[in-house]
Amino acid sequence: MRILQTSFMVVLLVGLFIFLVSCAGMKGTPNGYSSHADYISAGQQISCSECHEDQQKGTMKSFASFNHSAVFVKNHGHYAATDDRLCASCHKSSFCTDCHTNKTEIKPSLLYGNRPDRELPHRGNYMTLHKIEGKLDPSSCYRCHGRSNNERCMACHR
Amino acid sequence: MKRNLSPLFSAAFLLAFPVAVYAVDISVDSTSIVRFEQRDIPGSSKQDIQPFTQFLGLDARKLGDGNLSLHLYGWGRADMGDTSYGDSKTDGNLTYGYLQYRFEKTDADIRAGRFFVREGIINEQVDGISARTDLPFGFGLSAFGGATVHTEDLYGENSDGKGDYIAGGRISFRHKGLLELGISGVYEDTAPALVNYVNGTNRKIGADIWLSPHRAIELVGHSSYNTETSEMAEHRYLLNLRPATGLVLSGEYSDQREQSLFYSWAMFSGAAVNPGDKARTTAITASYYLDKTTEIILGYKHYNREIGNADRYGGDMKLSFMDNRLRGGLGYYYLQAGDNFAITGTSSASYHNLRAYVMHDTKTYFSSVEALCRLFDEKIYGEDTAYEAAFSLGYHITPALALSGDISYGKNPDYQDETKGLVRLTYNMTYDNKGEKK
Repeated sequence: MRILQTSFMVVLLVGLFIFLVSCAGMKGTPNGYSSHADYISAGQQISCSECHEDQQKGTMKSFASFNHSAVFVKNHGHYAATDDRLCASCHKSSFCTDCHTNKTEIKPSLLYGNRPDRELPHRGNYMTLHKIEGKLDPSSCYRCHGRSNNERCMACHR
Repeated sequence: MKRNLSPLFSAAFLLAFPVAVYAVDISVDSTSIVRFEQRDIPGSSKQDIQPFTQFLGLDARKLGDGNLSLHLYGWGRADMGDTSYGDSKTDGNLTYGYLQYRFEKTDADIRAGRFFVREGIINEQVDGISARTDLPFGFGLSAFGGATVHTEDLYGENSDGKGDYIAGGRISFRHKGLLELGISGVYEDTAPALVNYVNGTNRKIGADIWLSPHRAIELVGHSSYNTETSEMAEHRYLLNLRPATGLVLSGEYSDQREQSLFYSWAMFSGAAVNPGDKARTTAITASYYLDKTTEIILGYKHYNREIGNADRYGGDMKLSFMDNRLRGGLGYYYLQAGDNFAITGTSSASYHNLRAYVMHDTKTYFSSVEALCRLFDEKIYGEDTAYEAAFSLGYHITPALALSGDISYGKNPDYQDETKGLVRLTYNMTYDNKGEKK
């Protein structure tokens, strides 16, 4: 508890200091993200570097980092945790909350049963498999279902 | 009482803003689904369920001075046949509903209402306010605070196990597109004591990194520390190498102290997990685009828990033709896992997983076929196979309005005979301030 209070105080003070020091230069920092929704179609495999090659500037990360390869899709959480404003260039918030939400009615693979190309979890009947996969890696359950108290989970997990 | 105030808090924020409408763009996303499902669970009578579910999203942009936007998304369900789940024939939820003001400089924005925060180690749903901005010299700041969004009460409790308020934030630093470092933390009100579960308070701090000293090398990940248990909760890192165009070689590593990571997961009494329990996974994945039509993925993952070790390996192939209108995929994975991971009554958790699909989109119709098969090394509840075949066919009534139907049939150890169908009506449209479609 004491560690947390001290940590928050330090973070707060450092943040305040950085904010005050750099306020004067803020007018010169333009927005870096713009909407791409008008020219990217649903289901398109996105390769940012196809259009943005060699346009990296300032503190922008390499566009190759965000190419939607299978590796990126599988590990997208790492990127969304620091660059969700970039995600929002193309995706609405509902794209995330289809899976990552506290309360949902239909599992994503059923909601988008007409989109088997999307890497949606729990395809087919997952009832049997979850009894194995949950023991194998409970953190994979926790990332989406943790603290959401899903009624379907509670039916058995009492 | 506090719990009842949360949605009111969100609604008050949304209504309190004077919204002048000038060149507003309104985007509507609606999905109406009627499901038809016959459930035949061993030992229970057959059930016929037909729930109607409406998902509705609204995004209004360019409000006020042009920088204000409103975002709403939620769903509601009504059962037309047997009760689909629980005791009630109706249910619903506001997933998010917030106003956002985006400043013209520094990628700064302020949000007020119900929203999700995903910053560093933070992943929370909040009824409150958040703000973030980039700062000169590569720094960035974000902060949020408000009421916790409560969920269903736990079984036999008058609480969902969460505290009533929550706050947190992240400070970051970027250097020339080579490095990003972040420090983040979340502080939730003290968790209520529960009768049937062991509960813990949600308070963590953490650090994240993105490092790319060369465009072909990238390291990304985070570590989190649980201040309640005074112990590391998790290390989770990913190393990507891109030695050639279209080729990504990836290595993953995660190390978890399960009590600290699951400390506030009340439903599984995470705070009562043995403090010594650890879990570790290591994985290698290779993804390669042979050409614009074909991607091949090979993967291996090793799991290590207190109860034993397991391995999963296999691969996928993804295909795309006719300017992405014809797509397909094949996949095979094998999980080799011993008796400690097995379902009660069996001595092996090993199984083969096979999947194939093909889908076709045109301006008028769209369709897909998918087949799944799981072959268990040892019979589970007397079955050594689980399979499901699904077919979907849809028609674009207009470019924005589509009607589609899915039907699937499957058999597995839990359901002797599972037939499911649904009809789906989707409408996705953006209108400008003159009411014209965009």
